[in-house]
Amino acid sequence: MIRFTIRRLVSGVILLFVISSVAFLLLNLGAGNVGRRILGPQGTADTVALKNEQLGLNEPVLTRYFEWLRGAVTGDFGASWFTNQPVDQAISSRLAVTLAIVIGATLVSGFLATVLGVWAARRRGWADKLVQVIAVLGFAIPGFLIAIFLVNVFALNLHWFKPTGYVQMGTSFTGWLSSVTLPIAALSIGAIAAIVQQVRGSVIDALRQDWVRTLRSRGLSENRIVFKHVLRNAGGPALSVLAVQFIGLLGGAVIVEQIFAIPGLGQISVSATAQGDLPLVMGLVLVMGAIVVIVNLLIDLIQGFLNPKARVS
Amino acid sequence: MFHWKKAVVIATAAVLALAGCTPADSGPEGSSGGTLTLGLLLPASTFSAQGASWANESPYMQAVYDGLLRAEPDGTIVPHLATEWSYSDDLTVLDLTLRDDVTFSDGTPFNADAAAQNLIRFRDGTSPNASFLVNLADAKAIDDTHLELTLSSPDPALLTYLTQNAGLQESPEAFDNPDVETVPVGSGPYTLNVDETVVGNSYVFDKNPDYWKSEDQHYDKLVMNVYTDSTSLLSAIQGGQVNVSTTSDNTTADQIEAAGYTLSPIENNWWGLIIGDRDGTLNPAIGDPRVRQAINYAFDRDAMLQAAADGRGTVTQQVFPTSSPSFDSALDDTYSYDAVKAKKLLAEAGYPDGFDLIMPSAAALGASNFTLIQQQLGDVGIRVTYEEVQVNDYINTIVTGKYAVTFMALQLDPTDWQLSQFELDKTATFNGFHNDDPTVQGHIATIQTGTAEEAEKAGKALNAYIVEQGWFAPWFRPELNTASDATTDVIVQVGNSYPYLWNIKPKA
Repeated sequence: MIRFTIRRLVSGVILLFVISSVAFLLLNLGAGNVGRRILGPQGTADTVALKNEQLGLNEPVLTRYFEWLRGAVTGDFGASWFTNQPVDQAISSRLAVTLAIVIGATLVSGFLATVLGVWAARRRGWADKLVQVIAVLGFAIPGFLIAIFLVNVFALNLHWFKPTGYVQMGTSFTGWLSSVTLPIAALSIGAIAAIVQQVRGSVIDALRQDWVRTLRSRGLSENRIVFKHVLRNAGGPALSVLAVQFIGLLGGAVIVEQIFAIPGLGQISVSATAQGDLPLVMGLVLVMGAIVVIVNLLIDLIQGFLNPKARVS
Repeated sequence: MFHWKKAVVIATAAVLALAGCTPADSGPEGSSGGTLTLGLLLPASTFSAQGASWANESPYMQAVYDGLLRAEPDGTIVPHLATEWSYSDDLTVLDLTLRDDVTFSDGTPFNADAAAQNLIRFRDGTSPNASFLVNLADAKAIDDTHLELTLSSPDPALLTYLTQNAGLQESPEAFDNPDVETVPVGSGPYTLNVDETVVGNSYVFDKNPDYWKSEDQHYDKLVMNVYTDSTSLLSAIQGGQVNVSTTSDNTTADQIEAAGYTLSPIENNWWGLIIGDRDGTLNPAIGDPRVRQAINYAFDRDAMLQAAADGRGTVTQQVFPTSSPSFDSALDDTYSYDAVKAKKLLAEAGYPDGFDLIMPSAAALGASNFTLIQQQLGDVGIRVTYEEVQVNDYINTIVTGKYAVTFMALQLDPTDWQLSQFELDKTATFNGFHNDDPTVQGHIATIQTGTAEEAEKAGKALNAYIVEQGWFAPWFRPELNTASDATTDVIVQVGNSYPYLWNIKPKA
């Protein structure tokens, strides 16, 4: 298992290197006149030229790439071209915000999808149909529409929550919980739709197995069979879907953070990409890539823990 | 054993408790004079005075920095750090007398030497407006309170520039700070609270207890929230989360007013076409003034205003603002919509069957705008084909003269000199083809060196000339609205996208 973990980490590092190299080259291909973009219509040609020179943009792309790589290896990712904030500060101050929302949405969607999936699998009939309708609706309605709906109903009409903004957990726990509730809800609905189908199908399959019949014959209660044995077996595929959803939720956070004006990675991903803020985009590519690598590794390890047959030697 | 009922009860209680704890109704404290919450469309690009931007970023700078001079809402220049000023007879030496009771937030005293250093740094830096001080040959401290500016040539807008980012004063001790871009050290009414600020999202400022002009500190704390997304900005306004905000477009104006906010409109830019290839270098047809006049006749400006700005604004045919003495309302009747006359002019110019025109387009600037241009010019025989360019490079295509005619929204500069230097002079950024028209250059020279009376006369003549020559095809000046809640008074600033900070006050 240790060798497997090390191998996955090494391949992850290689993957990050490849992704960042391709991203750097692609971003430079469509860079245009960066100085003009930063200074806008008021910058004169002389000032624009000076800005480009200050940013080192007169150097060849490969020289700039190796300069960036040298910095990245030593932990210096440069500063945003558009806010001048060091990239490591910009990302570290926002990473926790995005992770809070995405992990929250993963836990909520995982829990509710499990509850609904098990309920549908055990009850079948109308309950099963209801869950499937909910799943289809969750798939069909875009996340940004759900977010706008939640803002209008729960913030602007019922005034239960603030429509925008984020409160640091250290400032006020209830304030923080309040500020992440609607974003988490908006993100969770689509994820629940994806996971609940998997849970339902896996539980139905497991309930048909001979070993379940054996457990029943031994007099175990149905709840004990489902929650202690069936779910453990059915959890593997659902967990894989959950992992994919986690990564997908990082993408979903882009829209949700925009709508709720939350200072997370998604929000700066949108602005940095739209502006072509190369240092910041490169930092984001690395962080997002690292999250994907780590999550996938963790899921493999958890799969092995839940199901010994899935363990990698 | 999983207890469903217990779980549901706990979850319900948690949600109710959470909702109960939510300070959603508290809103900003504008009426108390405690905290002022502003909504802005852009984050601060820098907090270094040397690289400072203005317009939408002016509130950030005005919170932490003082300027040498100040502008009243109508543009009138009044003292601030500089209490008196006078020009030499040839307008190339400006003497300023400075206050002697001002210190920066790091304890460094403000004096003429600090002011001289700041001006030189701004001139040599990469602020978008570094060119404001292009005529500054030298800045010299005579003594602690007297500053002498020597100009390479007269600059009629210099005093105005000194009310904006070019006049901002930063502590010289902070010039070499590694965090100079993100941690400002000024003498302004507030200081940036770095711990509570989330760069790019929310900026928090605390009252400077040692500020020399306490009557300008209307609040104990400022919060400036950035809303780059129009949906979140509208939600924040409807949810009462900001006291004051500029609005990103006019389509939400009714919703904002319905939420109890007052809209204060200002017209700070014009929309229309820059007919740049006046020598016919790229497209010979554009070199003929009759063709440029035909383009002006081709547009139904009322329809354009309705379609592109929701009817909020004023149609116009000139690029000078109403605040300029050179503005002439009669010029707005020069090219009333007349497709027949446009076709006639094209025929007279040798294009009875029209001609082909390649223009740049960028979907992000509003696809409907480009469709309307194509349709209206097509109606008189000008066949427009578009080349899509990246929105980030759109401006660059204009200022480098890559297209004969371009759609653009350009600022209405408050002084004729600024406007000339921005879009008319042969070296102006938005004279992308660097047209060197002797008549235009002659009027600009008079604006620069003539007496006030001569300059005003030259400005009027210049305005009339470029309208008659069809240098542009302006359609309208759209309203830019500032929304303010019931607890806050706002006075908009001529020539600036955001009201000046000291003109935002708790309602009496």
